[in-house]
Formats: sequence, structure tokens, C-alpha cells
Amino acid sequence: MRIKHSTSLSLLAGLALVASACGGPAAAPSQSPTQAAATPTQAAATATAGGVAKATPGQSVKMMLLPKFLGILPFAQANKGAGDAAAELKNSTALAFVGPTADNSVQGQIEFMTNAATQGYKVVMISNNAGDQIAPAATAAQAAGVKVVAWDSPIPSAKGENLFVAQVDFNEMGKVMADMALSIMGADGGKFAILSASPDAANQNAWIKALNDALKDPKYAKVQLVDTVYGNDQSERSYTQAQALVAKYPDLKVIMAPTTVGIAAAAKAMQDGKMCDKVKVSGLGLPSEMVSYTINGCAPQFALWSFVDLGYLTYYTSYMLATGAIKGTEGEQFEAGRMGTFKITKDPTRSAGLRVLMGPFKIYDKTNVEAEAK
Amino acid sequence: MARDIFRRLVRWEGLLLAILAVIVVVTGIAVPGYLNPQNQINLLELSIEKAIVVLAMTFVIVSGEIDLSIASVMGLSAVLVAWLKEQGVPVEVGIIAALLVGALCGLFNGYWVAVIGLPSLAVTLAGLIGYRGAALLLVGDRSIGGFPEWFNRLGQQPLLGPFPLALMVFAVLLVGATVLLQFSGFGRYAYVVGSSPEVARFSGVRVRRVKLAVFAMSGVVSAFAGVLLLARLGAVRGSTAEGFELDIITMVLLGGVSIFGGSGTMAGVILSILVVLNLRNGLALANATGNTQAGVIGALLILSVLVPNLVAAARSRLGRGGSAEAAVIPKLSDL
Repeated sequence: MRIKHSTSLSLLAGLALVASACGGPAAAPSQSPTQAAATPTQAAATATAGGVAKATPGQSVKMMLLPKFLGILPFAQANKGAGDAAAELKNSTALAFVGPTADNSVQGQIEFMTNAATQGYKVVMISNNAGDQIAPAATAAQAAGVKVVAWDSPIPSAKGENLFVAQVDFNEMGKVMADMALSIMGADGGKFAILSASPDAANQNAWIKALNDALKDPKYAKVQLVDTVYGNDQSERSYTQAQALVAKYPDLKVIMAPTTVGIAAAAKAMQDGKMCDKVKVSGLGLPSEMVSYTINGCAPQFALWSFVDLGYLTYYTSYMLATGAIKGTEGEQFEAGRMGTFKITKDPTRSAGLRVLMGPFKIYDKTNVEAEAK
Repeated sequence: MARDIFRRLVRWEGLLLAILAVIVVVTGIAVPGYLNPQNQINLLELSIEKAIVVLAMTFVIVSGEIDLSIASVMGLSAVLVAWLKEQGVPVEVGIIAALLVGALCGLFNGYWVAVIGLPSLAVTLAGLIGYRGAALLLVGDRSIGGFPEWFNRLGQQPLLGPFPLALMVFAVLLVGATVLLQFSGFGRYAYVVGSSPEVARFSGVRVRRVKLAVFAMSGVVSAFAGVLLLARLGAVRGSTAEGFELDIITMVLLGGVSIFGGSGTMAGVILSILVVLNLRNGLALANATGNTQAGVIGALLILSVLVPNLVAAARSRLGRGGSAEAAVIPKLSDL
């Protein structure tokens, strides 16, 4: 059944492609000769005066949104944002929101990336959970004409990646977490530990590194990081890891979880263990999942950005890249619909790679969490 | 009796061949790009390490045992190469060390099973946990990458025409395993040991030696597959290859190798590998979720075990003159 369904879908897509190739502004000159051969629609790209590129809506581009895995709210929100952008750009080919299961994330992402060219995708938008293990597959996909746009979590070496749409500046993230730890512990400071996602999650690893760097500032002299553990973005594992941290460090004051799954699981573990007076939880969380813990004091402060916006910007960027409106080179500027103008720069937080920086993040506490949770 | 078994095997392989043909035709029509040669190479390459271990696992199961520790040995060997590299040992030397450790793991399993006489299910379950534990001890929660260019190239790029190294290795091992199982004395011993260790012993087969050899082979081949996996991924962590054992055992059993030992052929196993990989690839290209893929392959395994047994049962009833059960047969042939 499924297979048949997809045939008719791709048939439709093919028809749409032919239609847009015939009916579109075919006279427009090709922006990038190397990609012109890949799809006829790419010839319709426009670059506008003033150096700020604009998208040409109505083209058919087959795009895949590939999160770390399916089944958690932030990625569903990103998909919603991407869907909004798809509707605005009138892409006649439906967006595919696909992904592996959490326990098969690395292998699964490699498989999706490998199959992308066969399936005829023009862009894979990936929140990379496979570290540099994804690089060979991503490089092969690029060689077959697929654009690879990372979002949320980049490819560390940037090999096989055209662009990274960063939610926030990764170095700044380190300071934000150090500040939250300090403000929760107070001037006396104390011990805290990190509960991260998986050891291959490039974004979390970069933030942890940034946090370690930030802690060197004398301002945080009394803030002591004692351990870093991994819950693999699985609730049960994160829950037991949080319990284990408290058992291992009796004078632990804060668990810092830079992952929405980890922070909610840790807060629940502290609440269930009636330890919220002693151990506070902080990090990156979704207001809707964290509201009760913030009100009852288990997680007094946490941060996040809008995943809807991140999905929207990623889609916009990827669409423009695939249609040739932007080439994905340093210094290019483009307009991303309702979110305004962005610029492609070198990624200062990695040794290689290009970045589109979204920002900003928002700090939540009991004064504003309820309004956002609705 | 022997002729019966032979007939049943032919029927099983025929069934697999029919299933494979249906999968290829249906997917070929329904999913664009599936028949593309590059996709056929991709679908093999994505699981080639598992397919290589399937060959060794066939010997283990034919000889009436099971080895649950294979995926942990794969992980341990990959981790060992990476860890040694960090200690300054060249990757070439690391690979040899990993193969040796794989052989030791296999011999260790084999010792407890063949010499002491413990059930292989328990021994290799301990191996599954123990060898994985060793891998995690070596690297903790870290991920190690940064291998030399030649090593990554061997794992990630086509070596001859469109074929990567691992595919060619698999082809060679496949020929070797087929000859060893179907056309050599050792293969015949494995079947005899698997169908009846007592008969084997009384006929002068060195049962212990055969079993030790089979487990050692399973260990070495798993370690080798782990190295290939490492080269393909370019990075490793303690949990690499976790859970692979189920896929591998599934492929062997679907190939018609009896879990009780003594029967099954390499041809069936090859067909089963092709069925599973093509089916999974077709589903993946159609964007079916991982859970759907696992469900479909699970259902196929259940069917492949049930159908031949149901057919045999129906036949024996028919043989006794019952006609009421005849209705069962058209239903089955609809499949």
C-alpha cells in the first residue's frame, strides 16, 4: 500500500516538475551552471539587486527534513516551521519529514543520507546525530547532486555539508549555561554535572566544550563541573543517569542538561526523589514540558530558542540553495521570508564550515514560563 | 528420509527465490531508483558487515550452536583499533590485534561450549555482555575518529569500478564459505555434529575440535567485520554495532538453517540476505519508518517458519485421506 502510494506521489512530483519547467520563467539565465543540469527548475532562480538574494516561489524541489530521530517535540516543531516555509514558497513537492528511531539514530541517519540521491531528493536537511560518521555518506550524496544543509546539530568536520543553520552562537551557549548555573547556585557556587544527549551529538559536544571554556573566567571560580554523562536522548536512560549523578556526588547542586529530553527526565527524577531542595535542574528545555518543574522549583531556570523558527529558516535557506538563488558561499546575503535577512559567514565555532546564524535564545523562569507553555 | 530433507530444502529455497523475485519486481515497478545499479550497491554496502558475519553464523547454527556475542565482538574489535591508534599504535598493527582478540573471544566461547559442555546460549550471552563491557571500558562514552586517509578510503570509496572493498571481500568469503560448508569434509562434519553429536562422536568425528573451530571462525570473522564497519563509518564508539546480532541471526534462520542444527544451505542463506536487504531498502526508499521495516521483516520470518510447517502438516493429513483440510492449501499458495 505504502509503496503504491509513493509511486503516485513521485509521479505527481514528476508531472509537476515537467509543468514548472515548461510554464516557468524558462528564459531566466542559469545561476549556477553546475547545477543547471540537475533540474530544469533551477534555471528559474533569481538574484536581486543590493546583494540580498530572494527566493522564487513556486518551484518544485524535493526536500527531506531529517531530525536526529522521530518522536520528540522540538523536531516536530521544526517540521511545523519548515511546513510553514514550504507553504509560503509554494513548493509543489511535499516535504518529507523522516528519521530513524532513537536507538538506531547513527545507522539510521547514514541510511537515509545514502538513499537520498536514489530517491531523487535535492536537499537533505539534517540535525546530525552521527558525528563525523555521517561525513562519508553526506559527501557521496553531494557528489550525486544533493545539497546537505545541517541545522540544530552540524557535521563537526563540515565534510559533506553545504551550510549549517545554527540556532544560536555555540560559544555563547557556553556562557549562558555557566550563567544559569551560577545564578541558581548563588555566589557561593558549588558542584554541578552535565547530563547530555549522545556522545556523537555535535551540537551538545560543542556546547559542553564552550561551557568548559567559559568556566575559565574568574567570575565562575566557585562553579565546579564534576562530571559529564550521557542519556542518549532517551527518557528512561536520562532519568537513571540523573539519579546516578546524585548518588555519586552527594553535594551536587545543579544538573545541567543541554537537551530537552535530558532536562525533563532529570527534573522528573529530582521531583520523584524529593530532592529538588538540594539539586536543581537547568539547561535547554521546552516551556510546555518544563512548566510544572519551573513552578515547583525543581528547574528554576532554563533556556531555549524557537524550533519552529529554526525549521522555517532551514527550509528557506535550503530551498534557495537548491534552486540556485544562493550558492552557499561566504558573504552571501538572503531574505528568509518573515524572519528577515541573513548572511552566510564562516562558522567561528568550528575549524571549517559555513554558518547561517539564527538566534536569539530565551531564558525561562517562573515569571515567563507559563505564558510560553500555552 | 534424506531425500525428504533434500526436497524440503529445495522447496524452502524455491520459496525464498519466489519471495525475492516478487520483492524485486514490485519494488522495481513501484519505487523509482530502486533498480539503479548504484542503489543495489548501496543496499548491500549499508549492511555488508552484517552479511559477512551471517556467513560465519551459518556454520555455528548448522553445528547446532548459537553465538550471541558476534555484535559485541564487532564493536570490541572496532574500538580496539581506535583505542590502539590513540596509544600511538599504527592502524595496520591495530587491525591484526583486533583479529587476534576476535579469535580469542571465539575460542573462549568455544572452550566453555565444546570442552566444558555448557549451553552456547548462556556462554555467548555472557560474551555479548562481557565483550561489549570491555569495549565500553576502553573508550567510555567517547567517539573516536580521525583515522588515516588510506583506511577511510578503503571503507568509504569504490575500489574497483563501483565496488567498495567490503563488497569484494564479501564475494570472496561467500565463495569460500560455500565451498567449506557444502563441498568439504569440515562442512560435512559441521552438519553431522549439528544433527547428532552422539552419532558424530561414534563415527569418529572430533566434535570438540569442530565446535572450537566454528566458534573461533565466528570470532575472527566478526572482528574482521568490525574493522570493515569502522573503516566505513570513519569513527567508533562503545556502542558501535549494538543489536546487530538479531539481524544476523534472523538472516540465517530465514535462510532455512534449522535453529536445532544439522540442516540448511549456503544458497538459502544468500537468498535470505538478499530478501532482507532488498525488502528493507525498498521500504526505506518508500520512506517507511524503521519500526515498519522491523515489523515487515519480523512478519516475514514468522511466515517463513510457519508456512513450511503448515504445508507439511497439511500434506501429512491429506496423505491420511482427509479432504477437509485441503482448503488450507490454496490460502497458502496465495502468498
